[in-house]
Amino acid sequence: MDIVIRAAIAFAFIFFLTRVAGRRELSSMEPFDLIMLIVLGDLVQQGVTQSDYSVTGLVLAAGTIALMQILVSYLNFRFKRARMVLDGEPIVLVEDGRVLLRNVHRERITRGELEEQARLNQIESLEKVRWAVLETSGQISFIPKQ
Amino acid sequence: MADQPDGIVLKRHRDLQGRDWHPWLRRGLVALLALVALLALFGFVGQHPSTTKAEAAAATLDVNAPSSVRGGLLYQSRFTIEAHQDVKDATLVLSSDWIDGLTVNTIEPSPLNEASRNGALVLELGHIAAGDKYVLYMDYQVNPTTVGSRTLRVELLDGDEPVTSLTRSQRIWP
Repeated sequence: MDIVIRAAIAFAFIFFLTRVAGRRELSSMEPFDLIMLIVLGDLVQQGVTQSDYSVTGLVLAAGTIALMQILVSYLNFRFKRARMVLDGEPIVLVEDGRVLLRNVHRERITRGELEEQARLNQIESLEKVRWAVLETSGQISFIPKQ
Repeated sequence: MADQPDGIVLKRHRDLQGRDWHPWLRRGLVALLALVALLALFGFVGQHPSTTKAEAAAATLDVNAPSSVRGGLLYQSRFTIEAHQDVKDATLVLSSDWIDGLTVNTIEPSPLNEASRNGALVLELGHIAAGDKYVLYMDYQVNPTTVGSRTLRVELLDGDEPVTSLTRSQRIWP
């Protein structure tokens, strides 16, 4: 029974961490982030399964995490308010080529990062951006001016 | 008519109306994480050892052990008996919570005899001469399923005669 509780707590805590860390930090995957992800996975595994090497333990832990994921996904789908809490909301970063400083500061995004993301979207200058939106996934979507 | 992308509400997503408190919530949660890390640094969740002492005319008993431990961790309890007078048949009586839900890896030096008395663990240590010091080490590992608070009582006897006793508390974090 305790492995189910530990898996549920691990899921809830990781979910909490992802919401606290901010979406930009989690959407970018630099080499350091990749290593940290592996380290985090190892730490979580130890806390969940501890010294349980059984297939039953694996089924219980993985099954609980899958169920929690489905529950979050259902809440997201079913309730708008839950979606705001669980997923967050988009934030407009650029409007008509003008960087909205209050919004980018709030998400700890520098102008350089914005320009880099624009270049990755084949946009050479923020002046040519009609809208840039930080999506709930942490990706920045760009809509160029016509 | 605004030409914003579908799904974008300018008041909410550009002007952040009604979202002013969100960064403060996030800062509060970050502060909470920092607080937990700080408490851990100060040993709140294990496992800095602390010492509890009980003095009597015949002997002093002192126990050094962590008062907080976590599931799966290895730790040590050290029992030190300083005899002020001859203790002919020193015996430690440990309440069941000293071993229940824990794996005792070793007890060093091995007691002369071990027994159970009303659920308590009885360790017969033998003769401790006046002025001598006897140190007993118990090494443990916390079973992952054991959690909660417990009261640990230890008595020092000379044969059947109580010499001194002390009580400690221990918290086991999951």
